[in-house]
Amino acid sequence: MNNNNLVPASWSRQPSTRDDVTALAERTRTNSIETGVEGGDKDDVVDPTIAAFRQRYDIFEKHIAIMFDTRRPCCAPPDMEFAALELNDDFSSANVNASGNSAVDNARPPVRKLDDDDYDFEDYEDEEDTKPKALPPLPFKSASSLPQSSDPSSGNIIDAKKSAVATREKLEADRKAAEEAVKRALPSMFFTLENDRDAMLEQQKLEESDRQVNAEANAAQANALGKLSSANLGASSLTLKHLIARIDAKREKVVVSDMELRNLMSEVRKNRSKWANEDKIGQEDLYEAAEKVVLELRALTEHSTAFLNKVNKREAPDYLSIIKHPMDLGTVMKKLKGHHYKSKKDFVDDLNLIWQNCLTYNAEPSHYLRKHAKAMQKATQNLIPLIPDIVIRDRAEVELEEAGALEVDAEGESDDEPIMSSRGRKAPGTKKTRKGARLEGTPEVKAPVVNLLRADSNPPGNDSQVSVGINGFPTPSGSTPVPNGLAHSISQMDIDHDRVDDDTHDVEYQTWKTLTKKARAKVASERHKLFRGNRLNSEEPALLRSRDDMGRFLRNEEKHARSAQDADDNSMQQGSGNTKLVDTEQTDVQELLPDYYDPLAAVPELPSGVSWYGEGDEVDLQDDNLRLAPRGIFTQPKSELSKRMDANIKQMQETRKLCSKIGVIKQMQVQTQMYSNQFTKYDPKEFVEADVEDFVVSEEGPVMCSTVARAALQKSVGKIFYHAGFEEFQPTAIDAVTDIAVDYFQKLSKTLTVYQEAPQHERKFEPEEMLLHALYENGADVESLDTYIKDDIERLGSKLNGIHQRMKAHLTELLRPALQDVGGDGSKMFNDGSEQFVGGDFAEDIGDDFFGFKELGLDKEFGLSSLSVPLHLLQGRMRSTYQTQNTSAVASADGYKPPPPFEPVTRELLEREIGLVRNFFLAKLHANNEEPLVEDEDLPIKQRLPKPRLPPTGKISAPRKRPMHGQGGNSKKKKKPNPPAPPPPKAAPLSSKSVAMDHSLSKISEADGDGNGGMMSPESLVGGGG
Amino acid sequence: MMFVSGETGEPSAETTGIIEEIVRGQVIEMLQQCTNLASRRGSRSISTDDLIFLIRHDKAKVSRLRTYLSWKDVRKTAKDNDPSGGAGAPDPADLLDDAAAGIAGGTGPVQMRQKKAKIGLPWEVASFFSEQVPEREEDEDEDEVEANAATLQRLKNADERTRGMTRDEYVHWSECRQASFTFRKGKRFREWAGFGTVTDAKPNDDIVDILGFLTFEIVQTLTEEALKVKELEDQVLSESREKNKKRKREKFLFHAEEGRTPIEPRHVEEAFRRLQVPKPKSRAMRNFSGGVVKSKLTLV
Repeated sequence: MNNNNLVPASWSRQPSTRDDVTALAERTRTNSIETGVEGGDKDDVVDPTIAAFRQRYDIFEKHIAIMFDTRRPCCAPPDMEFAALELNDDFSSANVNASGNSAVDNARPPVRKLDDDDYDFEDYEDEEDTKPKALPPLPFKSASSLPQSSDPSSGNIIDAKKSAVATREKLEADRKAAEEAVKRALPSMFFTLENDRDAMLEQQKLEESDRQVNAEANAAQANALGKLSSANLGASSLTLKHLIARIDAKREKVVVSDMELRNLMSEVRKNRSKWANEDKIGQEDLYEAAEKVVLELRALTEHSTAFLNKVNKREAPDYLSIIKHPMDLGTVMKKLKGHHYKSKKDFVDDLNLIWQNCLTYNAEPSHYLRKHAKAMQKATQNLIPLIPDIVIRDRAEVELEEAGALEVDAEGESDDEPIMSSRGRKAPGTKKTRKGARLEGTPEVKAPVVNLLRADSNPPGNDSQVSVGINGFPTPSGSTPVPNGLAHSISQMDIDHDRVDDDTHDVEYQTWKTLTKKARAKVASERHKLFRGNRLNSEEPALLRSRDDMGRFLRNEEKHARSAQDADDNSMQQGSGNTKLVDTEQTDVQELLPDYYDPLAAVPELPSGVSWYGEGDEVDLQDDNLRLAPRGIFTQPKSELSKRMDANIKQMQETRKLCSKIGVIKQMQVQTQMYSNQFTKYDPKEFVEADVEDFVVSEEGPVMCSTVARAALQKSVGKIFYHAGFEEFQPTAIDAVTDIAVDYFQKLSKTLTVYQEAPQHERKFEPEEMLLHALYENGADVESLDTYIKDDIERLGSKLNGIHQRMKAHLTELLRPALQDVGGDGSKMFNDGSEQFVGGDFAEDIGDDFFGFKELGLDKEFGLSSLSVPLHLLQGRMRSTYQTQNTSAVASADGYKPPPPFEPVTRELLEREIGLVRNFFLAKLHANNEEPLVEDEDLPIKQRLPKPRLPPTGKISAPRKRPMHGQGGNSKKKKKPNPPAPPPPKAAPLSSKSVAMDHSLSKISEADGDGNGGMMSPESLVGGGG
Repeated sequence: MMFVSGETGEPSAETTGIIEEIVRGQVIEMLQQCTNLASRRGSRSISTDDLIFLIRHDKAKVSRLRTYLSWKDVRKTAKDNDPSGGAGAPDPADLLDDAAAGIAGGTGPVQMRQKKAKIGLPWEVASFFSEQVPEREEDEDEDEVEANAATLQRLKNADERTRGMTRDEYVHWSECRQASFTFRKGKRFREWAGFGTVTDAKPNDDIVDILGFLTFEIVQTLTEEALKVKELEDQVLSESREKNKKRKREKFLFHAEEGRTPIEPRHVEEAFRRLQVPKPKSRAMRNFSGGVVKSKLTLV
């Protein structure tokens, strides 16, 4: 067994385990024999084969653990577990055999006395609680648990060693330790769901029976119980535990001696309880616990009523004849108060006697009291572990014993041990005080918690808590061989460790099952509800994640993360971490369930703004939200260059407009007959660069779309084409040039890339250099670009402007060649007044420089062959064409707008006309198939009425004059007086204009003004001229 | 011609022969390209526009050519009007007019300038529009100003050189200035340039005149470049000579030579090579595409 000490805390667990197990098996055998003697109830003997099986099982379990190794340190408790187990093994191997339990005290009273101190279990256990080696109870045999628990001393000690307080809160401690163990084991264990159904059914049964049994018990009571117990736990573990743990951890640094420390501790403790007795060691602890148990049992009113008082003779006359030793709870209480009990065993025996009596008396199996008795029996079994396994002794005896133990301390066991054991020792008289204080600090212990109740429903073999109590006494104090001198130092805590090696996993599993039973049952039943028959029940409400569940999941994840950090830290930290876990999770039983029991919660909510792209690929959408692409990506950026180009293009368009007008005029000069559709009006639209429609992008960087980009490039190419003077171009041409441009730009960027990627160690190119090099390599340099801009854009602009000016001048010249530049003031007066010069031609005939052209030298300047008004200007029929062509120029020149066109005559309009013309128009309309009548001016030229022409001489002869004038304006209107509008005020602007006319012309205009409707008589002209 | 371009010495026959060959090659190349252009246009005969198009990128040259042509007209008419006054007069001012064509605003007769015909080119801005843009006298072509800059530089050089000349020398120089490949020997020039074989069409006088002008330009450019080459060579030589001088003085006993040596064929060849180096512009589109860049004969 000693070799266990040498085994490192590692995976090399198996051999030692085997040793342990075998050793334990032996031990247990002997123990059980002894306990059988002691408690009488122990009938449990471990078969060596069973032990062997256990051992195998153990080994395989560990293999499984290894196989399912996880990287999360917190989830790899096998490590810890084994380490802890090793530690425990150490203790056990060292000490177990010698001292089985508190009986040790009895066995070696002198030692204690020498030490003149007593072991303080509480302190010791508190310390252990925070340490990793404070392992969960590892019950040895589950099946035999019930009877074994009747052995007060062993159960007591085992519980103490396990984890929490070794005192009256043993039950809590058990549970806590068990839970702790399970929790620690949880990640390492793989629990199947196969037991869930059983659990569910059992739970249902339990609930049913609960309902039956607790008929009168209200829910409040149950709740109170649960709460109290949890409160107890907190209180018990918190009193001085942390302080002591801290001190232990920093023991080297604390200068104070153990003795002083102990004194300090004891002073801190509060007053002792009523059971305290200086001379009776252990009395306080025992009686406190016992009283608690009795009260507890009495509180179980639904069962205990029959046992509260002595059996009444009237009710059961033959009772005393059958039952030799009547017992009831009241009597037990009385005995307690009278200090009649010397040991736990006495007390437990009395309790058991009550139930046994009942069972004996009411032998009939169906008797109702039997049920109660059984229930009480069970409750007792559960409560008994609470009672410390103490045999009350006289003080002197104990001190003697301690003195002996102290001697051995010097040899030292593990690091913590001296401290703990020494801490455990107390100045006489303080010990009891402490314990009492501890008790008072913790509220009343309500042992049977929910879990325990549940455990009841388990088969006894599964009930770990019960088994905890059972195992308590594997090593009888006297009979076990003591290997070496260490045996002397055996203390209770050592014994604790002895219990550790056991069927760990089995127990863990059982514990887990017990702990999580309710939760599992709940889950299972809920799951069950989802199905109807063998199908999913669509009526069931949807499965929803709950916030709490998810929070728990996240907490677990956090825990993993946290423990990952602590992975390398020492065991103490891990221990504290574990306690923390216990603290936080104690409240929620369901937390014990592994994650996979609640798959819904296992998936954390995706934060909004995060999208899921499959396997672990979350993409934060916050930045990558789809958004509108900025406009103008595919249009020419606003720059000086583009502005100039646009201006040039616009200028070109304007000039072309002028050109088309000039062309029309020239054509009219040549042609005699023309058609209104002969000249398509050139009215180019201004170029507006179209942008792509709004689109949405999700990423940074340039928009990669070759087709659109190409289209944009084409657009630019087209623009440049136009800028270069091409009015139109074939698509193929633009395609070709675009391709070339694409090619060129690709080469440019390629060159740039080459320079960028050039080995930097040889020569480092500045960005500017790179650009210049690239440009040069591709046949362009800054100079040429500059030249291009200067020559082909800026100078082109000025050239275009000049050309435009010239064109404009040319146009006006064409329209009014003679008077183009007569004088700044007078020239404009003739903008529209071609008709005024209708008679101008005769000036040559009469040889008179009527307009004063010669005088001004205009004839020479403009090379006028004649002084007459240009022929085309006299052609009235062209006026309409002119008007359409020159509307803008004319209108803008004098601010006069042509009158709105006449409304076409329709039947509706006729109603408003005077009766005289109605018939006439009706006839016309009828002839026109009721279509609106068209004005003569709007008719196609060929359909117009023939108009009088100028004779080939170009002179307007007097007789012809009148009709000509009429044709100009009035003749038409005479035909159609119908339009409601007054006769077109064509003459009006002229007359108004005439006011400003200069000398020679003013007379004409005056005469013109006199004439009606712009008619002008030659007489007046002549007269004016004269 | 070379003399006018700055060559002082008497070049060897070999040198002139090389230059002549180069010029001939250039002329033939030009004619070929012109013919191609013309055929692309759909016509069989080459026009002046085709020729000018070839040198369109050299704006200064184009401008000079245009002035040359317009002055040719002027001269023709002037000759018609007044045979006595003409291009031949050895008057400096006249010479300036002759060669440089109308930089001298004040010297030329006003009427002549008035009649100076404008040579419109099809790729000019005016051709953007369907209508003929009316002339306006006052607008000064900016191109001309620019072109004149180069011309003025040449004239300045010429002035420098003629400054110290005696009258006889100057007469000789001005005679040299009139030297032409084409003037009064058009027929021989045509044969020399292989007009019959290169192009089908019979080129008119204008084309011959333009070619004459261009050949003059070519010779000038070549000579200038060759002079530069020679200068560079001389510089290097003199440097090395000075180095060597210290060591071997006796070797250069007779090295006190005349001021300038004539251009040698190697200089001309080097100059031609330099002028023929393909510009990055012409091979830009072949970047990254691999293969041998075959360059055509570059027009000087």
